[in-house]
Amino acid sequence: MRTGFVRFAEIKANMVITNRGATLSRNRLRELIQVNLDNMKGHYMDRREFISKTLKHAAGLAVCTSLGNLGLASSKTPEQPQSILSTATGNNYPSLVSRVLEPLGGIQQFIKQGYKVVIKPNIGWNRSPEMAANTHPLIVAELVKLAIDAGAAKVSVFDRTCNEERQCYHRSGIKPAVEALNLSNVSCDYIDDRKFISVPIPTGKSIQEWDIYKEAVEADCYINVPVAKHHGLTRLSLGLKNIMGILGGNRGRIHHDIGQRLADLHTAFKPSLTIIDATRLLMRNGPQGGSLDDVKVKDTLIASVDIVAADAYATTLFDLMPTDVYATVAAHAAGLGEMNLEKVKIVNA
Amino acid sequence: MKPKKKILQTTRRISQFIFLFIFLFLFRKTDYTGTDELEYAVNIIFRIDPLVSSAVILAEKTFIYFLLPSIITILLTVVFGRFFCNWICPLGTLLDGSRLFFKASDSHEYKSLKKVKYVLLITILATAVMSVPLVGYFDPFSILVRGMTLSIDPALKTTVSKPFDAIYLNAPEWISNYSEPVYGILRATVLPYRRSITTLGLTSFLILFVIFALEKLQRRFWCRNICPLGAMLAVVSKVSLLRGHSQGACSSCGLCRKICRMGAIDDGNRISPEACTLCMDCAAVCPMGKIRFAFSRPKEVHAPEGISRRAFIGTALTGLLVPTVFSNRAVKHFPNPYLIRPPGSLPEQAFLDRCVRCGECMKVCIGNALHPSFLDSGIEGMFSPKLIPRIGYCEFSCTLCGQVCPTGAIRVLSVEEKKKTVIGKAYFDENRCLPYARSLPCIVCEEHCPTPDKAIKFREIAVINEVGESVIIKQPYVVHELCIGCGICETKCPIPGFSAIRVTSEDESRHQDNVQRVDSDETSGPYS
Repeated sequence: MRTGFVRFAEIKANMVITNRGATLSRNRLRELIQVNLDNMKGHYMDRREFISKTLKHAAGLAVCTSLGNLGLASSKTPEQPQSILSTATGNNYPSLVSRVLEPLGGIQQFIKQGYKVVIKPNIGWNRSPEMAANTHPLIVAELVKLAIDAGAAKVSVFDRTCNEERQCYHRSGIKPAVEALNLSNVSCDYIDDRKFISVPIPTGKSIQEWDIYKEAVEADCYINVPVAKHHGLTRLSLGLKNIMGILGGNRGRIHHDIGQRLADLHTAFKPSLTIIDATRLLMRNGPQGGSLDDVKVKDTLIASVDIVAADAYATTLFDLMPTDVYATVAAHAAGLGEMNLEKVKIVNA
Repeated sequence: MKPKKKILQTTRRISQFIFLFIFLFLFRKTDYTGTDELEYAVNIIFRIDPLVSSAVILAEKTFIYFLLPSIITILLTVVFGRFFCNWICPLGTLLDGSRLFFKASDSHEYKSLKKVKYVLLITILATAVMSVPLVGYFDPFSILVRGMTLSIDPALKTTVSKPFDAIYLNAPEWISNYSEPVYGILRATVLPYRRSITTLGLTSFLILFVIFALEKLQRRFWCRNICPLGAMLAVVSKVSLLRGHSQGACSSCGLCRKICRMGAIDDGNRISPEACTLCMDCAAVCPMGKIRFAFSRPKEVHAPEGISRRAFIGTALTGLLVPTVFSNRAVKHFPNPYLIRPPGSLPEQAFLDRCVRCGECMKVCIGNALHPSFLDSGIEGMFSPKLIPRIGYCEFSCTLCGQVCPTGAIRVLSVEEKKKTVIGKAYFDENRCLPYARSLPCIVCEEHCPTPDKAIKFREIAVINEVGESVIIKQPYVVHELCIGCGICETKCPIPGFSAIRVTSEDESRHQDNVQRVDSDETSGPYS
């Protein structure tokens, strides 16, 4: 079984297809990754920094051309500290949320007074919570509550769904759960097609630009709350894959080189925090499942600032290696985080 | 004496307003609201419509219990005459209301055209017996609801949204901070949720437009001369109890004749029970207060409206015989394979017999998947719903179309039943599908396939790609037995133009003779 997976990962690396449709050999790919990593040096910024810098430059020039390049060219190199990953297990899902955040410094580490917060669960499918196709509503609702308690001025919960959005929001239980909190300044609204803005991906290898939901881009704190599940093309749908829900345009096109494109997107858009809902794992027939036979109850939450580490760890819950998910490999290669779990500080909260 | 009669006129106006409001409210409510079951829908109006009921029952030759409320309309007509047309009918109210915007003609010409509605009524009922359903083309509610669904409602959404969108996208933020909340309120109240894509929208609009434009020829031209529901109620009104009386000598000012919207008053001031819709205008306007309405017959009666016995028999026979020419058309024997009916649809002939082309299923379809067909099922199938998967797909857990269908052409399905109802089967076009045609990875169809055991699976195959390299690619295929034909694969297929996976009506549950025989246990294969 294992060797099969490794072979597959190698084959994948052997046949990377660029956005122009050309295929790259393994050696050429290595070269490109190296060149890209060299180019990437000194380009690490968190999203807030990126946006604020971009905006400053844009304002200075009053011209909107080549925003991304200018924004990136002037940044400094912060030291990359060791990634911390926290896990919590138990069947009281709301209490898991605050527990899993403790080792990371609690929610107040991420949300300050007056922040605009986006909580981005997976609401992609017209499935009820037990089917493990969407993030569990209790976890989303608890996060919203914590965010408001931490002083958030506004909390938005949304996802660009794959099935009809009203049915997804309702059957997933997420909209009812968020609305039941009855908190002002909390919204669980459907995606508004007008609110996508073009985001340049200057270091993108496979894509150089994509439309991203404005509220996500402008958030002071963006919490990525995917559900851990099987996926036909990426093998697993985890933290990196969850960005699909804030993308505009024809998302089908992402699939042609999905691992690389997910990594590319995260070079331009980084969640402040990733919390992977592994309370239930969808083992087969992902990403939407539909049968309880395919669901494995795991009662686990995984949290990390390092999205690659979070994905790498979640992969192991499926008895797979982090290298088995190409998006993780590509994101690691793009310097987005640590996929070698031995180098990650894992805390069981 | 006079004020009392004004009260009747005012009451009638209030009644019209209330029923129009109810109609519009129900129309807006014909949409998903967060629960699987709709609370109410505009289908009620078709169930009190005796024309729809009789045509459908004649076509199906079975009694359909939920069309029973239409008997109430008949009974009320026996008592009050053709009041329905002027106290309840939303199309009538809208026609009256259109006078606020353009002046209708006061002409009382075209008296011979009054017969047209009877000819239509007889034709509709006779052809219904022969299973050529025409009621949907002439029933006033079908025309109205369909026109609103396919043209007015989407146009309303676009017209209102456009300026708000323009402000939001272009104007400074402080302006959109004001405009967006207003837009939000409009969206939550009067606007439809979604901006629907429609087909035959213009056609449906033109039909409505013509009905309104005919007001320029004569007030209530449609109601007087064409409306077959009006004709049916007029026939019943021949024996109605409440009648208009013009009593005693009057000054013969002719005011009542002039203002009568139905042209129901003759030169001798006699009021025709078939034409009178009891609007009470004449009673309110008569300067001498000589017109009253009472449960008695006037001494002098208006000449009866209608057609001769000869014309009746001729029309009925034509209606019965002409459809025999229809039965040998290829479209009935080799149906268009891309004609996919909504889940729960009856077998094709029964479906067409019952469908009144009201467009409610298209209105409520959460995926914007249902659209009016044109000539896919013959000329009598126009405006009947079909699924166009490239535009929208059938949502796996949605049963709304069956819930709103007024006549049961689409059965009410439970969610569990719906998930097993096959409306067609998907097939791949390997000349277009990226993993086949271009050796590119793509799994969008598989990802979206909703059946718990996916009907689209992969084979991992080593192929030589476009630049001559050997790659392993996942090539998708349809597992015939699992596919329910929902069409989400065709909707979501990312390549432009024709989808690389398409759905045909093959193996749909409602037609046992449309089943592919290759895997059948029966010995009667195609070559036996």
